[in-house]
Amino acid sequence: MSFIIVDDSELDCFIAKKIIGHTDRSIHVDTFQIASEALDFIKTEIPARTDENKTVLLLDLQMPLMNGFQFVEEFEKMPSDIQQKVLVVILSSTRNSNDILRIFTYKSVHSLMEKPLTNEKLITLIRQASANPLA
Amino acid sequence: MPDKIKILYIDDEPDNLVGFKASLRLQYHIFTAVNIPQALSVLDNHPDIAVVFCDQRMPGKTGVEFFEEIRISHPKPVRILLTAYTDVESIINAINRGNIFRYVRKPWLETDIISAIDEAHKFYLANSALNTKNEELQRAYNELNKFAYSVSHDIRGPLSGILGAINIAREIDDVEEMREMLFLMEKSLKKLDTYILSMHDYYSLQRGELKIGEVDFLALFDELRPLYDVLAKTNHVDFKVDIQQEEIFRSDAVPLKLIFNNLLSNAFKYQDKKRAHKAVTVEIVVKKSIATINISDTGIGILGTHIGEIFNLFYRANSQEVGSGFGLYNVKTALLKLNGQIEVNSVMNQGTTFKVTIPSI
Repeated sequence: MSFIIVDDSELDCFIAKKIIGHTDRSIHVDTFQIASEALDFIKTEIPARTDENKTVLLLDLQMPLMNGFQFVEEFEKMPSDIQQKVLVVILSSTRNSNDILRIFTYKSVHSLMEKPLTNEKLITLIRQASANPLA
Repeated sequence: MPDKIKILYIDDEPDNLVGFKASLRLQYHIFTAVNIPQALSVLDNHPDIAVVFCDQRMPGKTGVEFFEEIRISHPKPVRILLTAYTDVESIINAINRGNIFRYVRKPWLETDIISAIDEAHKFYLANSALNTKNEELQRAYNELNKFAYSVSHDIRGPLSGILGAINIAREIDDVEEMREMLFLMEKSLKKLDTYILSMHDYYSLQRGELKIGEVDFLALFDELRPLYDVLAKTNHVDFKVDIQQEEIFRSDAVPLKLIFNNLLSNAFKYQDKKRAHKAVTVEIVVKKSIATINISDTGIGILGTHIGEIFNLFYRANSQEVGSGFGLYNVKTALLKLNGQIEVNSVMNQGTTFKVTIPSI
């Protein structure tokens, strides 16, 4: 299984990576502090992936230059075979109801998780990703 | 002497206009119009007209209909109807539809007109003051909304990060790994601290009164310099300050220091790490009661499309997580208080220059 983490905070990237590593050493993790770089990575790397599960994308909302919403808008412009291989999960500290309502207007967003990422949250997430194997 | 009160009078009989103007022009600034299109163009060109008199009987439109129209298009001037008619129907219409302030009967007496103008002007001033207050209040509300939004990210963000880190610390045995995490935690806490300090600056700038005194830029820099000398040394940045001041400059040192601190810390913060020769240069020239300050860096530069937004509250034009989105907004607010101006010149990967001009007060 693979994870992609997009978060401008270095500490949050570190935490997510560590928690994933402690939970399941076999999970591959790529972290990005700049959202646009993660988009490029998805475009070039995802088509070649042959994992049986979707790649889980943990996406922060409030980031400078390109925020989570803009990221999702760009992601939804990608070919559908790429989109199908990615499970988009918002990982944010936001309590703003406008943000929360808005994020679910995007059809590619699977769910929203509140920061910080914990062991329990991660286990739920892995279960969800395994429950939707790629055909 | 304060400016004369501006008044517009609309009547289709030129004689009435001439008479009105002749008896009142010394006290007031009178505009006249013989028809409604002309009146509208006068209102468009002179948005500070305080009182509008209009005759009820006009060809095409009645005075009430005209008032009904400008109530929406030009709501500020106070409306007074002049009419020889005294039937109840037209008075009711004038009040309900035209929302008029006074009703003056024709032929008018000068004392009636003058007292109507005085009352109308008081009403106009009170309304304008209320509008200004409302706009200020609206601005304050908008900023409060931005604050409430930023609290969840800029305060809660670092805290949830640190909580998360404490959580995984229980499972980390490796000392190196722990050190790395402590370093990142410290970075997060410092960022939170900067945010809170900037918020304090923001508040004192918004509420504080100016304390004007003589400013000696050399002495001011003796105070500021040590901190940046340390930064320059540790980051290998060539830091130069050149001050030319041969005259007295009066201003408030507190917002001045805030401006220098924000612009200087940005100049050091956004250096291009790959660059061999890094520099920050400050030039201050005080001449003819104006201080011209140039702060230049050899940093990463600001993308042209972001320049218009960098002075907005909570705007961050860089993906490094160092900015709070407060700094340049506070600079702009401080300059507003000091009557100063700021210009930005930036070339990507070459550097940025902020040029600040501040008049002596």
